[in-house]
Amino acid sequence: MTTMAAPAPATLPTTGEYKTGIWSWLTTVDHKRIGILYLVTALFFFVWGGLEAAIIRAQLAGPNMGLVTAQQYNQLFTMHGTTMVFLVIMPLSSAFFNFLIPLQIGARDVAFPRLNAFSYWVFLAGGIVVTLPILFGMAPDGGWFGYAPLTTKAYSSGYNIDYWVLGLQILGVASLAAAFNFITTIINMRAPGMVLMRMPVFTWMSFVVQFLVILAFPVITAALVFLLFDRFFGTNFYTVAAGADPLLWQHLFWVFGHPEVYILILPAFGLVSEVLPTFSRKPLFGYPVIVYSGILIGALGFGVWAHHMFSVGMGPIADSVFSVTTMLIAIPTGVKILNWVSTMWGGQIRFTTSMMFAIALVAMFTVGGISGIMHSSAPADLQQTDSYFVVAHFHYVLVGGAVLGIMAGVYYYFPKLTGRMLDETLGKWHFWTFVIGTNLTFFPMHMSGLYGMPRRIYTYDAGQGWEMYNLLSSIGVIFQAIGMTIFFVNFIRSWKKGAIAGNNPWGAPTLEWAIPSPVPDYNFAHIPVVTSRYPLWDQKAGDLVKSEAETTTGGRLKTAAELGIPMPFPTILPLVAAVFMTAMLCGLLFIHAGNLPLALGIMITCGLGLAFTLIKWLTSPLE
Amino acid sequence: MTGTSRLRRSLGAATAALALAALAACGSDHPNSTFLHWTEFGRDIDFLWDRLLGWGTAVFVLVEAVLVYTIIRFRAKPDGPTPVQTHGNTTLEITWTIVPAVILVFIAVPTVRTVFKTQAKAPDSALQVEVIGHQWWWEFKYPQYGITTANELYLPVGRTVNFALKTKDVLHSFWIPNLGGKRDLISNRTNYLWFTPDSIGAAAMNGQCAEYCGDSHANMKFKVFTVAPADFESWAAHQKRPAVFGVAPAAPATPAVPVKSAARGAVAAAPAPADTAPPVGYAFPADQIKPFWWPKTPLPAGLAEIPDAVLAQGDAARGKDTYSRSACIGCHTITGNPMSMGVIGPNLTHFGSRHTLAAGLFPNDAKHLAMWIKNSRMMKPGVLMNTQGMNEMDPMMHQKVTTGGLTDAQVADVVAYLRALK
Repeated sequence: MTTMAAPAPATLPTTGEYKTGIWSWLTTVDHKRIGILYLVTALFFFVWGGLEAAIIRAQLAGPNMGLVTAQQYNQLFTMHGTTMVFLVIMPLSSAFFNFLIPLQIGARDVAFPRLNAFSYWVFLAGGIVVTLPILFGMAPDGGWFGYAPLTTKAYSSGYNIDYWVLGLQILGVASLAAAFNFITTIINMRAPGMVLMRMPVFTWMSFVVQFLVILAFPVITAALVFLLFDRFFGTNFYTVAAGADPLLWQHLFWVFGHPEVYILILPAFGLVSEVLPTFSRKPLFGYPVIVYSGILIGALGFGVWAHHMFSVGMGPIADSVFSVTTMLIAIPTGVKILNWVSTMWGGQIRFTTSMMFAIALVAMFTVGGISGIMHSSAPADLQQTDSYFVVAHFHYVLVGGAVLGIMAGVYYYFPKLTGRMLDETLGKWHFWTFVIGTNLTFFPMHMSGLYGMPRRIYTYDAGQGWEMYNLLSSIGVIFQAIGMTIFFVNFIRSWKKGAIAGNNPWGAPTLEWAIPSPVPDYNFAHIPVVTSRYPLWDQKAGDLVKSEAETTTGGRLKTAAELGIPMPFPTILPLVAAVFMTAMLCGLLFIHAGNLPLALGIMITCGLGLAFTLIKWLTSPLE
Repeated sequence: MTGTSRLRRSLGAATAALALAALAACGSDHPNSTFLHWTEFGRDIDFLWDRLLGWGTAVFVLVEAVLVYTIIRFRAKPDGPTPVQTHGNTTLEITWTIVPAVILVFIAVPTVRTVFKTQAKAPDSALQVEVIGHQWWWEFKYPQYGITTANELYLPVGRTVNFALKTKDVLHSFWIPNLGGKRDLISNRTNYLWFTPDSIGAAAMNGQCAEYCGDSHANMKFKVFTVAPADFESWAAHQKRPAVFGVAPAAPATPAVPVKSAARGAVAAAPAPADTAPPVGYAFPADQIKPFWWPKTPLPAGLAEIPDAVLAQGDAARGKDTYSRSACIGCHTITGNPMSMGVIGPNLTHFGSRHTLAAGLFPNDAKHLAMWIKNSRMMKPGVLMNTQGMNEMDPMMHQKVTTGGLTDAQVADVVAYLRALK
């Protein structure tokens, strides 16, 4: 077989300019470094949310356990969901958006590098606001879905829900800023010849996701503004005593919440669409169909929200319509699955860890897709919704789909990110323990749900026929934990000591593999001209980028200055703006505490600080 | 290639493990199963479920089989040729777009039909039951009978029951897995759910809240009895009257036999006149209830039990006096006790005829009831009913009960009184 991998150099290529101090990270506007910040932060929250899940499963390992109290449990499941959705899967996807999109389209950075840094710092601030209170027993406890009126002040008078409202609002700012940035980047900054239908599928799926973000997040923002006004200023958007209809929240939440599911899953679909062709040594089967399916899934995703609400009594017409639209989504999703299988058909499949995770995604997402169809039938869903069957379903989608896809991406792109390979033996151990653990945890939940176990219960009675399934689920978590521990050991060890990767260790076909690993700060020494979807399989790498002689000098890569490439200045302003904005919003907490002057003082001071920072930002030159 | 044979072995092991789990599942008991055919609602849902499971399994087996075959057949061989660089196949794409669409028609048509059938208006002859959700207990009203009760629901076999679902506070969801799907209780709205328990005889089953509703969501259960129509009338006639002290419940009026009735609501008997009813009405016999049904919730650590000797000294008449002068009357109604007209907590008129306590959380015996009165907030997190026992620590107020607290002897009296309310 023809192997495409280039021989690896003995040392990591560098321009000799790479700064490593803390200050360099706080002020960075380099999309690759921001990608690393997202990655590391999201992995930290992954451990955090995983520990929450482990406590939940320990509490439910047997009936009538007393490891945590009801209130603690309610905080744990609320924070597990909120953390995994907003602080793990979304930012893991963001890590790939940041790192990959400019590389895949042949650009030197994103369109707005400083806005990109701002997105990250705002995300981090929002994450801290929403997660930190659990250490003081004051974590949000209204569920990640935060149904009114339970979240209104009449029924949740503590600060718990305040942190959730403020944290989510702040996180929304980060997501929206990033989405506009990536849309602009993809539309404007593609290399010559990189027409839309030559873009790598990951970039395509990211492109779709950014539109989902800018269409879905304003809805949750409005819903949260109502709740915020209710809680801090005494308005009555959700006050049932004043005649409010709590279904307002549910509709707004799910108009956001369902596209959110696709925001979580489509980037993973994009990643496996990169991994499967490389390790099958075949182009993606049905590229245009996969792209159009992704667009269609995103578009249909806005027309199915009320399938989360079949039990609220919307009436037979709405129930029927949302049943049928939901079923329709199965078609483009199934098409993707079959195209992925067909990509492998006739290929030369190399079972790298990355490839195994990608194959596992195809296998496990299929399960989640099928149970999704089971929910789409509204009457049948009346037995399934709010039972453990639903918990099984969306974990197959989000762990079996999103997390496995992201893991495939991490193993695949780690060499490009760090210049070093993740260890394959540890990777295989990670794969098997994690995939077995995931199935062991989530498959039995189908059964406990269908046998009548409701979700969000902190305990259950003995003799209900649920013990064995719950015990199996809890044992599965041990396997998952072992798998993730192996991963982290591998990740940390390989970052410093892994085998040196070279430009293209996998023989991959897309643009990012033509340049050195780790990528120099300017990405491409000169902007490539693209003539096909798989340039490195169809063209010689040397035709795409400048020859080694032109880009290196004295055993190192040339610097941006030597190549005459203007680079954006590092700046602390995005971080300062993020801090002011977060502090300004958190000033609202003092209204809850009854100290209006202090609240106003903080908000006005921080608001002025934010305004001055933005003026300084907008008036200082980029490069 | 060793990697692949290892893969194959592992897949085999995983399949075997799943098959074992499935076998084990068939052998064990599932008292809260959603697959039962006890109502037309349950049958309609299970009909859809069978189709969903059938098609789902077929698609699952097909996709996974092709996937496994592909990764085994096309694993890389050393020095294998570069694969043919195919980019797609329009015929295939069209095929696998149309085939799922056709399968979905077979699911969508019965789905829509069932949606309209199950959400049609209930027959006029249906038994009306008003369900009112409270954090964290259930109020049941039978407007045709003038009954208000809590947490234990009696349904006559063979008669359609139409639930009107409301909530006093946050959202809840009314779910009896054995009888059919759930329906939410939405503030400022009334939802409806109806079905006919027509293929089950006398049975005791579980119901529970299925919408997260705060601290004790997990503890918001209820108990459901399907009973013969005559027994239901006996129960209803008695529930309507003020409480009767200290008389044993009557034996079931008729043996428990399954009533198969195709026509919904065909058995709509009129309530028996109260003056001809026996002094104590029907209650579901405890000895006919299966073990799974009885709550096994452990008692909270750190709550001192009241000794049996003290409980034995409890006097119902004295208890009535204590009860009527305590905080209890602010929240609870006992018809026949003019002092006790509160409507915040559960109606206690026939409390002694109930088998469980605190929304299905504990068995209704003297010991559990005594501890409940003493410190309900330790027994069930977050409850509105504050701690009553003298010198008990109220876990929500974070202070000891001093003035107005009940001594153990007083608790024993109140227990005797409440348990006498048959």
